[in-house]
Amino acid sequence: MKRILALLLTLVMMVGLVAACGGSDEPAETDAPEEAAEPADDSAEEEPADEEPADEEPAAGGEASDLNVGVFYYDFADSYISTVRSELDKMLEEAGITYTNYDAAGSQPTQTEAVNSAITGGTNLLVVNIVETAAIDAAQGIVDSAKEAGIPVIFFNREIDNSVIDSYELAAFVGTDAPEAGHMQGQMIGEFLLENYDDVDLNGDGKISYIMLKGQEGNPEAEARTQYSVEDANAILTDAGKEELVYYDENAASKFLVDPDGAWSSAAGQEYMQTALATYTEDSNNMIEIVIGNNDDMALGALSALQAAGYNKEGGTYIPVFGVDATETAVGKIDSGEMTGSIKQDNVGMASTLMTLINNVANGDEIMANTDDYNVDADVDKIRVPYSIVTGQ
Amino acid sequence: MSTEKVKKNSKWSSEQIKDFLINNALILIMLVLVIYVTATRPEFLKPTSLINLLSLTAAYLPVALGIAGCIVLTGTDLSAGRVVGITAVISASLLQDITAPGKMWPNLEPPPIALVLLISVLIGALIGAFNGFWVAKFKLHPFIVTLATQLIVYTFILLYMQAGESTGQAISSLTEDYREFVTGSVVGVPIGGGKTAPIPNYVWLALLLAGLMWLIWNKTTFGKNMFALGANEEAARVSGVNVFATTIIVFALAGAMYGYAGFIESARIASNTANTGANYELDAIAACVIGGVSFVGGIGSISGIVIGVLLLRLIFVALPMIGMDQNLQFAIKGGIILLACALDMRKYLEKK
Repeated sequence: MKRILALLLTLVMMVGLVAACGGSDEPAETDAPEEAAEPADDSAEEEPADEEPADEEPAAGGEASDLNVGVFYYDFADSYISTVRSELDKMLEEAGITYTNYDAAGSQPTQTEAVNSAITGGTNLLVVNIVETAAIDAAQGIVDSAKEAGIPVIFFNREIDNSVIDSYELAAFVGTDAPEAGHMQGQMIGEFLLENYDDVDLNGDGKISYIMLKGQEGNPEAEARTQYSVEDANAILTDAGKEELVYYDENAASKFLVDPDGAWSSAAGQEYMQTALATYTEDSNNMIEIVIGNNDDMALGALSALQAAGYNKEGGTYIPVFGVDATETAVGKIDSGEMTGSIKQDNVGMASTLMTLINNVANGDEIMANTDDYNVDADVDKIRVPYSIVTGQ
Repeated sequence: MSTEKVKKNSKWSSEQIKDFLINNALILIMLVLVIYVTATRPEFLKPTSLINLLSLTAAYLPVALGIAGCIVLTGTDLSAGRVVGITAVISASLLQDITAPGKMWPNLEPPPIALVLLISVLIGALIGAFNGFWVAKFKLHPFIVTLATQLIVYTFILLYMQAGESTGQAISSLTEDYREFVTGSVVGVPIGGGKTAPIPNYVWLALLLAGLMWLIWNKTTFGKNMFALGANEEAARVSGVNVFATTIIVFALAGAMYGYAGFIESARIASNTANTGANYELDAIAACVIGGVSFVGGIGSISGIVIGVLLLRLIFVALPMIGMDQNLQFAIKGGIILLACALDMRKYLEKK
């Protein structure tokens, strides 16, 4: 008895302490006299409620009322996926559709288990951002579970093999054409260099040296971006009679530096760039002349190292920095002229395309109905949300 | 040649040489690595390159200094990375430039930098004290306690990343003052041609911190209690050490270090996501054991920790420089950790 009491007491204490930790955003609140911080803070506290089925909320439309959507994200920590999540949450709430978000935290077993428990818990539409992209078994397993339960499944963002989508008539995919981002980045770099060749070529040797920051080993998008950004830029350069890009370190075993944690992190971008800048400088005439990042986080990390060394700010030499994702932060840096360009993965487009399919299911239409305006693959139920190039002006 | 001579002259000195080699094996490995890298890439010894190595070491040092105390108590701390993460995103969100796109707390005038540093350190210390409480009160192994808090803290990071106007994007566009305070430089090393290679401020701060920790470890009653407790809990208890308070303070001090590290990381990386700090504890633990902080408990020194961190950063910097396949760096790290611990245990077993 005593033990249970003590346990209960400590539990209360823990909650108290946890609340104290949670109060960390309080300074923001107290320091801001403006009202604006208030509602923002409230929304933070209400957040957990979003994760639970919002069943107390009667469906506005009525016809959507029996739909219970489970949205399975591969990792809540991913910046781009977070922006898709906020958009989709908003749209689902507006439509009055009951939904539950799940975080796989980068683990396929976690996701598969969550999907299976959700199906037993009455979820009747699966929206899945698969974790494992290198093999088809995980996706096939989820499709098989959905098939058994007779409920539709919509995959998004991370690529699914065609055979998996084809194996079930109620399966569809919304994503991007992964290599496209790499091709567009290459095109952006090539075109930028043609316009500014002599300014970029700091040592005037007629060649542009680059550093490549790769997000992760074995990820198809990282591989595609690493390969095509340079290949396509080279194609544009050689067509115009210029030299191909050269990797900044001719002794390197591979023509990229990869985040050792595979996290596409800005920390890795910052550290690699800072380390490179220690030996490659303008003074020794071997300065890295452009920076290519697999995503904006890595590019921004590199930018941070450049700025700490006096580049890319007022009075300093400008080193073009290219990323992918066009996060708000990166777009801000592009607008202010600190960063050069990025490729936009359209989070709103992704969310609204998903919503079209979810509404189809809600209204009892074919899952791929109303998609004439979208870019649909010819042979399989896959919709491609287009990328776009973002540069200053 | 000289070793042969010594062998002839006296028997004990060959034994002594062997001991010397074993006791300083890691430093010798480091020297060999440095010599090899310098031979292939002479620019490795240029001031800019050395400053880079120094500043990377300074960035990773605070977490290692904190976690070392937990290891001295025969424990560990898996929450370090996430505590760095939460304090980093909080520092960043408070010190975002007023014009930052997608600013988390719009209209929030950035508060004084010192206040944010204080908040960051306090949050870290609080989470650390929380860890220490569970360890001390329920005799839970720190591995379990910090495994749990690490998860709890991650939830707070995820929720905080979606707070305010933020949509989970990287928190960036920090105020110029803040970035200048951390990554700016008051002293540089002249590199000729009237130019100087700047030494970032956080290097000095890390140095200061190492000095402070040295004082705490070696010159205070608390430090002596910590080592006594780590070496033998019963003996410490009998001789009047307050085990409960000492444990909590060790973890709180560690937490404060992570809080400080979060504040620095935030400006150093300048782009903070929910994954900031992830896995920092593993590097820090590795650095500690390489530097001779023993999991047996009650053994460790600040200078050892500095060497451990330096060695790990040296691997990070030097291997790509000599064109080594990046896939190999993990195996090399792993090998060094095993070697270091084996040597460490050998010393310990000999003492017994």
